[in-house]
Amino acid sequence: MAASESTIDTSDMIVCRDVHKWYGNFHALRGVTTTVRKREVVVVVGPSGSGKSTFIRTINRLEEHQRGDIIVDGIELSNDVRNIDAIRRDVGMVFQSFNLFPHLTAMDNITLAPMKVRKLPARQAEEIAEQLLERVGIAEQAGKYPGQLSGGQQQRVAIARALAMQPKIMLFDEPTSALDPEMIKEVLDVMRELAESGMTMVVVSHEIGFTREVADRVLMFDHGQIIEESATEEFFDNPKEDRTKLFLSQILA
Amino acid sequence: MASATDTPPGVVLPPPITERGGVGWAYANLFSNWYNTVLTFIYAALLGVALWFGLSWIVLEADWKVIATLGGRLIIGQYNTEFACPGQNCFWRPQASLLLVSVLLGMAWAVSGDKAAKRIAIGVAAITVAFAFLPYSMDQMGLDVRLLLAANVPAVAAGWVLARRTPLGTVRWIVMLGVLFFLVILVLIGGVPGVPGLQPVSTIYWGGLMLNLLLAVTGITLSLPIGIALALGRRSSLPLVKLLCVVFIEVMRGMPLITLLFMSQVLVPLAFPQDFSTNSLFRAGIILTLFSSAYMAENIRGGLQALHPGQVEAARALGLAGWQTTVLISLPQAIRNVIPAIVGQFISLFKDTLLVYIIGMLDVVEFSRAFIQGNAEYLASARELFLFLALVFWIFTYTMSYVSRRVEVHLRVGQR
Ligand SMILES: Nc1ncnc2c1ncn2[C@@H]1O[C@H](COP(=O)(O)OP(=O)(O)O)[C@@H](O)[C@H]1O
Ligand SMILES: [Mg+2]
Repeated sequence: MAASESTIDTSDMIVCRDVHKWYGNFHALRGVTTTVRKREVVVVVGPSGSGKSTFIRTINRLEEHQRGDIIVDGIELSNDVRNIDAIRRDVGMVFQSFNLFPHLTAMDNITLAPMKVRKLPARQAEEIAEQLLERVGIAEQAGKYPGQLSGGQQQRVAIARALAMQPKIMLFDEPTSALDPEMIKEVLDVMRELAESGMTMVVVSHEIGFTREVADRVLMFDHGQIIEESATEEFFDNPKEDRTKLFLSQILA
Repeated sequence: MASATDTPPGVVLPPPITERGGVGWAYANLFSNWYNTVLTFIYAALLGVALWFGLSWIVLEADWKVIATLGGRLIIGQYNTEFACPGQNCFWRPQASLLLVSVLLGMAWAVSGDKAAKRIAIGVAAITVAFAFLPYSMDQMGLDVRLLLAANVPAVAAGWVLARRTPLGTVRWIVMLGVLFFLVILVLIGGVPGVPGLQPVSTIYWGGLMLNLLLAVTGITLSLPIGIALALGRRSSLPLVKLLCVVFIEVMRGMPLITLLFMSQVLVPLAFPQDFSTNSLFRAGIILTLFSSAYMAENIRGGLQALHPGQVEAARALGLAGWQTTVLISLPQAIRNVIPAIVGQFISLFKDTLLVYIIGMLDVVEFSRAFIQGNAEYLASARELFLFLALVFWIFTYTMSYVSRRVEVHLRVGQR
């Protein structure tokens, strides 16, 4: 890959070098090295428990890594709180279980962070929110509470909420695996549009159609390591590792 | 369930008898099989006997004169006696306090949009105006007393208009006015040295239901924020803060309230200046508040514990700071989830206020007990009096749980 050594290209949005993470005694990430460039869409696959979530959660410091370096948009992740806050402003995250705030309406979910973190005036935050709700196709649901929305609608609000902070990078942790089949498409459509708009994205997902169409690159995780990393077509048509072949045969079956 | 072949498509069947009206309800709930039927008859018989004797006692035997005799003293205790308020009539001061409460109720009615606030405001206005014009009041109460009672109706109306017609009609303003009025009430009842008509009344004469209500309102409004602070402290990552909170909570919860009230003589002077510490009312307020805060803290901690960790993660991922996450995301959800427990604690605090007799205060129950003991001709009326007091307490506690249920209904919109 591009620059795992000392040179950091300004177009490198995420640089991970030999990242290790332990949960107590359990070694969850065992030397992860990779680089995500600007406007790139990287899909992360791998069996359950292989460390995919842990990996993307270290990128915005929801999990702390204990060894190695992570540099996001030129800022090194350390214990410096200001760095962490700066990175979280620039990195949006979408969760498998949506994690919308149930006591706030869709509109308030979206405007909260722009108003409280970016200190935007309410009017301006609402305008942004309206545009985003339009963009994810649920403008008419602004006044509803999460509990009154379908899963697919909730996830689209969650995407709008993350986008409202105008992030440079979006992280998705299995955004469609808690959804009924008929709702998966509406969420993937939004993500596809986002990718086309040039957003840098790291997506944990086993949606093969989406991955083939949108991803530039695929990372295969196993036991806390990247065991294979290649351009999308290469990954699906010509996998090198036996573990990858086995995994592909399972999810394509 | 009918199988597909039994019911042709498009046919709508009537519901079974158990789903229909009163007869269906009775059939399903009272007479569904032979032992339910037997139980229904046994309960009906027991209920009938209890009602027969209960009602006939209430109507035929009971002598309710004691309540009329005590009258306003049930509400203010010895407050308006010659010792408390020499040479003056101080009855108007608690009455004026009630008017302020009515104004707030009127405002709450205008703002809340729920029938609970409306019912309570109208209820208070109706009860006060009824008392102003009861035949009993006509010959027992002075015109001034009756006019001030009846004034609760315009007070509610004034509150309503104030909230509808001026910018004061927001929850925030009502809360701020509530705090302000509470302080005004304390000054009204306590008096100001040197101001004519407002001569000071020592707190040892504060009594009756007024004392229970003042202590309960103080305890309720203070124990919620203190409880929140303790709950957050107990979850703090700073070991010293955590330790202090845990020790405080466990000590307060580990001791009976009566013991704490006894010990307040020793405990309160440790933290407060001498003048306050010897004041029973102040001691009672402090102890009740702290005792209730400890329970409140555990209720709220329970609510925080039950939150999905994804909520905090989502907030942090958006860049909200730790304290913003707590104030904007965790606490509002935690408190919503434990409203029944919080209101339960309010109710038990209200009932606990009558334990202040331990440190010599004459709350409504102790005042009544003392009255009966000191007036032999009323010894036989203890039953009537305490039954009446039980009803009064029940009305207040039931109102609290009614309000809490309405609040829950409104908040549930955002929860489902
Ligand atoms: N908070 C945690 N504490 C302890 N172990 C954890 C924690 N989170 C994840 N793990 C463990 O780390 C491993 C990787 O988890 P995860 O990153 O969630 O895997 P994936 O997302 O690929 O399914 C799993 O074995 C999991 O049990
Ligand atoms: Mg995962």
